[in-house]
Amino acid sequence: MLNKYSLQRFYKGWQIFIENPLGKTGVIILVVFMFMAIASFFVPLIGPMYDPMTGIDPDIRVSTGPSLTHWLGTDNVGRDLFAQLLEGAKVAFIVGLSAAFISIVIGTLVGMVAGYTGGLLDAFLMRTADIIMVLPSLVILLILASLFGQFNIWIIVFIIAIMRWPAVSRVIRSQTLSLKHRPFIEASRVAGASHLRIIFRHIMPNVLPLAFLYMTFRVTAAILVEAALSFLGFGDPSQVSWGMMLQWVWKSGHMFQAPYWLIPPGMCISLLTLAFYLLGRAMDEVLDPRLRKEGQA
Amino acid sequence: MTLLSVKNLSIGYKTKKGLLKAVDNISFDLEKGLPLGFVGESGCGKTTIGMALMGLLPENAVILEGSIQFQGEDLVRLTEKQWRKVRGAKIAMIFQAAMNALNPVHRVDEQIKEAIITHQPDMSDADLSDRLNALFDLVDIPVARMKDYPHEYSGGMKQRVIIAMALACDPDLIIADEPTTALDVIVQDQILKEIRKVQQKIRTGLIFISHDIAVVASVCDRICVMYAGQIVETGTKKEVFTSPRHPYTLSLLGSYLSLDNLDDIVIPDMQEPPDLLSDIGSCRFADNCRVCSETCKKEEPGWVQISATHKAFCCEPQIIRGSHGKN
Amino acid sequence: MTKPGYILVKLVEVAVIFFIILTALFFLFRLSPGDPMSKMVDPMLTPEDMAHLIEQMGLDRPLWEQYLIYVKNFLTGSFGFSFHYGEPVSHIIVDKLKWTILLFTTSTVLAAFAGIFLGKIAAWHKGSHLDNVMSISALVCYTLFIPWFALLLLWILGFKLGLFPLGGVLSPQLWVGNASLLVRILDVLHHLMLPLMTLFIINLGSYLLLMRSSMLSVLREDYIITARAKGLSEKVIRNKHAAQNAALPVITSVGLSLAFSINGGALTEQIFTWPGIGKELIFAVSNNDYPLAQACFLLIALVVLVANLIVDLLYAWLDPRITY
Ligand SMILES: Nc1ncnc2c1ncn2[C@@H]1O[C@H](COP(=O)(O)OP(=O)(O)OP(=O)(O)O)[C@@H](O)[C@H]1O
Ligand code: SF4
Ligand SMILES: [Mg+2]
Repeated sequence: MLNKYSLQRFYKGWQIFIENPLGKTGVIILVVFMFMAIASFFVPLIGPMYDPMTGIDPDIRVSTGPSLTHWLGTDNVGRDLFAQLLEGAKVAFIVGLSAAFISIVIGTLVGMVAGYTGGLLDAFLMRTADIIMVLPSLVILLILASLFGQFNIWIIVFIIAIMRWPAVSRVIRSQTLSLKHRPFIEASRVAGASHLRIIFRHIMPNVLPLAFLYMTFRVTAAILVEAALSFLGFGDPSQVSWGMMLQWVWKSGHMFQAPYWLIPPGMCISLLTLAFYLLGRAMDEVLDPRLRKEGQA
Repeated sequence: MTLLSVKNLSIGYKTKKGLLKAVDNISFDLEKGLPLGFVGESGCGKTTIGMALMGLLPENAVILEGSIQFQGEDLVRLTEKQWRKVRGAKIAMIFQAAMNALNPVHRVDEQIKEAIITHQPDMSDADLSDRLNALFDLVDIPVARMKDYPHEYSGGMKQRVIIAMALACDPDLIIADEPTTALDVIVQDQILKEIRKVQQKIRTGLIFISHDIAVVASVCDRICVMYAGQIVETGTKKEVFTSPRHPYTLSLLGSYLSLDNLDDIVIPDMQEPPDLLSDIGSCRFADNCRVCSETCKKEEPGWVQISATHKAFCCEPQIIRGSHGKN
Repeated sequence: MTKPGYILVKLVEVAVIFFIILTALFFLFRLSPGDPMSKMVDPMLTPEDMAHLIEQMGLDRPLWEQYLIYVKNFLTGSFGFSFHYGEPVSHIIVDKLKWTILLFTTSTVLAAFAGIFLGKIAAWHKGSHLDNVMSISALVCYTLFIPWFALLLLWILGFKLGLFPLGGVLSPQLWVGNASLLVRILDVLHHLMLPLMTLFIINLGSYLLLMRSSMLSVLREDYIITARAKGLSEKVIRNKHAAQNAALPVITSVGLSLAFSINGGALTEQIFTWPGIGKELIFAVSNNDYPLAQACFLLIALVVLVANLIVDLLYAWLDPRITY
């Protein structure tokens, strides 16, 4: 799959991508957050006081503002907010990327199968997709949480992924439909290639770029849903996340008193969402030559 | 009487790679009520000329020099506001129907009505509907279909409506840019007949653009042949077909020869026209020309007058014996 | 297909989807840990009341009978009794529904109109400062994390500046007493402002961006050149030929983004203690009030489906190319 030609294409795409101001901004923000996520691994090493979940500053009993020992201040039990913020970056990446990955895997498979086979199976899969698409994922997670109790982070990721494949599968399906009757597919069918082989060898490489484009948008959705769920108090209680931090500031009644606690986590969620959105838009332009031309004229 | 007189018109497009000179020093005249054809391969600048005559050049286009005299005014100097009084009223355009030239969410009659009302706001409703009926009659569309949406029309009908739309305000000049391209042969024939009929009936000036020399010849008595942004030969239909002087015209006719005299002519392996981004300064057709001489490569060719109506832009205008024309 | 026929087909479609959701929910309730009885019958009730409820919901019958009774109960509007309120769930949610619909429709409709209008202007002046300012602000609005943004508004406009009440729909002193209707309405509007503003701004961002890009692609269409060639004024070209066409896909996207808006709506209701269905659902889930949670969920699903239906019909009505 990665022959010289596709490498060249990739390189050209990357060039356009990085020249694009949207893409550049997105990449810069992302890099900052990646550093934060990486830093989160080292913070607890400084001392047990800086563990985002269990570290408690023995001298502090109430929420305090920024200081030298606690750059962003502490929460009401004396945990370091900056450590929590770094941990939140890590969790956001894990949640966003893994949920997005699972949903594009499901979406791509369903889309290719539906588009390639057509007929009843296609109709069934697409109607299912339609139904799931109109359901609000947060509301679904809430009702599931009420029935099954608190979820751990991986189950949340999985449910988000299950709720989020339909849009991907629609796009992949229509792409597959347009590929299906291209000469090279017809030729390999005549040559006796099996359906599986055609789907994976010939269709998949052609739909993957689109799938990745959609992945960036899915990442955003997943991060937002997880944050909202945590904010409402139904997140994984053993996991610090930005949504969780907002839940704490809100539930502990500090939202009007502690801007140093209220502002950073929400800002991070919004910025990370923005970064992935910008990335998606820029990729859109790389993949859609029509848009690119518009930018140049 | 001269309706339109274009002098030394040059138009460039600003691109990332520099200025692309799409139209280079073009001059021609058009008599009132007569058709004039432009023919040339894709990219030679036909649409650019058409759009310049409508004042609708894209944003990155610049008119580098020249003038367009039309009814005593230089169109190059018009402001946008002045242009709006000319467009649709005095100069109208027939677009290609295969393009999405009709707005899909408005009814067909509404789209034509709008053109009339814009320029004749005082027209009474009765007059307006008479005018619409007359227009639909003229282009042979049943009046009953007037209130349809564009997607309910066939390609041929859409093209007729577009013609009707251009005629709506009785313009003095109509520009038709590839009006029949992408229609099937039979419909194409009907539309060409339609255009001919209408043009003769209402006696408007017509600039007819096509890449197909036979199509141009079926509508126009006078033809300009274009190559790489320049007019290279102009003359009456008869002159251009029976005694083409420019080697490019010859090859255009060659690519249009019928099978029985295919042996007479070797259809050359054509190279791409030269890059319009750079200054060329010699004959643009030189790379493809079979009779190219040393002078051709050194200097820009000049006009050679062959008859009162016929001239060619070539250092060595060919005398081609044994005509290749069909008419 | 005729127009009434099309509407009928769409209605049947909505009914079928809703029925599937209804069924899925039933089985989820039975699949979840704990017995269904504890989920549907308030453990605090007297034994007689319990027996009565079990009888009413057929909880002692075989599964398939339970299912039929469940569907029948749903169709007759009886959702059981809320554990927390001790009242029939149907009474509670009907009251909540009106507040959700008030907030949801005003914010969606206002944002759609404003977004379409501003998106049109931005696209028309593409590349200008005006466009840059509008697009970037829209982008920021669109990516704001809703609960956070809501809390910021609450903090600044409600708490610091004291411009708006911090929550609820009606000031306590107006609950009782004989304030005139007008005073009450104005008070409700005052309470509505903050949640409305939250949802409005966030939706505005997404509609503006959508309209802008839709309008830009319409402006590349050939019929825009045709319109110019007719000598139409710029205003007519912009409003009649470009914006009308460009708004169509935006309307479709209102339908597609409904699920997203509902999520945002629930969060907004929760933060501003706006007594709608979303807040009620969160409350029910937090307090293990299963019958209430179930009813809220079904109602939300119904709202989404009906709103989608309305958008579909609106689109079909506006776009002449749709053939029924
Ligand atoms: N907006 C533009 N920006 C830059 N270059 C342009 C633009 N429009 C046209 N050109 C270039 O100008 C030249 C002339 O284009 P034009 O459209 O006038 O040709 P044409 O003769 O109408 O061709 P066709 O038969 O394909 O319609 C071409 O080389 C084209 O690439
Ligand atoms: S000028 Fe010379 S090269 Fe150009 S067309 Fe004439 S003969 Fe050929
Ligand atoms: Mg052209």
